[in-house]
Amino acid sequence: MIAHLSSDQLSEYILGQPSLIVARHVQDCPACRAELAQFREALGEFRGAVRAWSEVEADQALEISGSVPQPRSWAVSQQLAWALLIAAVCVIASFVMPRQRGESTAGADAVLLNQVDVQVSRTAPSSMEPLMKLVVQE
Amino acid sequence: MHLSATSELERAIPADIAALAGDFEALVLLYRTKVFRFALASLRDVDAAETVTQDCFLRAYQARERFRQDCSMQTWLMQIAVNLIRDHTRNRRVQFWKRANLTAKPVDVAGRTMADRARSPEAQALLQERVAAIWTAAGRLPEKQRTVFLLRFVEDMDLLEIAVATGMKEGTVKTHLFRALRAVRERIGATV
Repeated sequence: MIAHLSSDQLSEYILGQPSLIVARHVQDCPACRAELAQFREALGEFRGAVRAWSEVEADQALEISGSVPQPRSWAVSQQLAWALLIAAVCVIASFVMPRQRGESTAGADAVLLNQVDVQVSRTAPSSMEPLMKLVVQE
Repeated sequence: MHLSATSELERAIPADIAALAGDFEALVLLYRTKVFRFALASLRDVDAAETVTQDCFLRAYQARERFRQDCSMQTWLMQIAVNLIRDHTRNRRVQFWKRANLTAKPVDVAGRTMADRARSPEAQALLQERVAAIWTAAGRLPEKQRTVFLLRFVEDMDLLEIAVATGMKEGTVKTHLFRALRAVRERIGATV
């Protein structure tokens, strides 16, 4: 017979898988049986204490938070849809608005250039054009 | 709202429990206390435990189509909770250990619940010291050892259920439990 169970052998027994020698020793040794009983009792009280504490906290914490957690995916997807819509509007606006401004500027530039062309292509200023008709061209 | 699961639902066979996936509110009512308790014992923070519990059922709801019934609904939910708690602990490691060393609430509660029993004041004080020692030791265990210790000795899960919930092999669970028990016993020996 072994002297007394080691800490590892006691743990083995607590886990419910003792070797034959350990199981026999526990049957025959009141000291080891008492040691095991004390440890089991402490573990049992620990379980009870954690459960009691959890119940106290759960009654407060979970009651405040409502009954069933609603899936947040719907709310998230709605927010995401709005964000995407706003982003899309911004992107379209950033493309369209400079182009419109560019188109109107280009039109004004073309008119001005035409006016310049007309002026440059004249052989004489408009005020002198009647006199130019009197000049005989060779 | 009363949080205790009804005994009728608790006695339901796994197939019936799986069928409850269609009635998600019943599922939440049945397992919320358990998930919250495990999260609270692991994180020792009521707000964090509440967040993990909510996230656990949200994940379960989103993944309910993928529940294969190769384990019980409880084990499946605990598997989700274990992962969430692990992520939470890793993200807030420093704060967790600070709290773990300071918190003594279950020990206070233990004092009140044990006072009802027929024990001498000395025996009660000794037992309360032991509970406090286990609580402290559990807080100082490495993450995996703490998880399997709590699943075994608070949630009463067997080795196979713990293996499924933690994604470990049964032998690995046994090794972690063995080490956890040794650390807890050493702690009790040091304080008493």
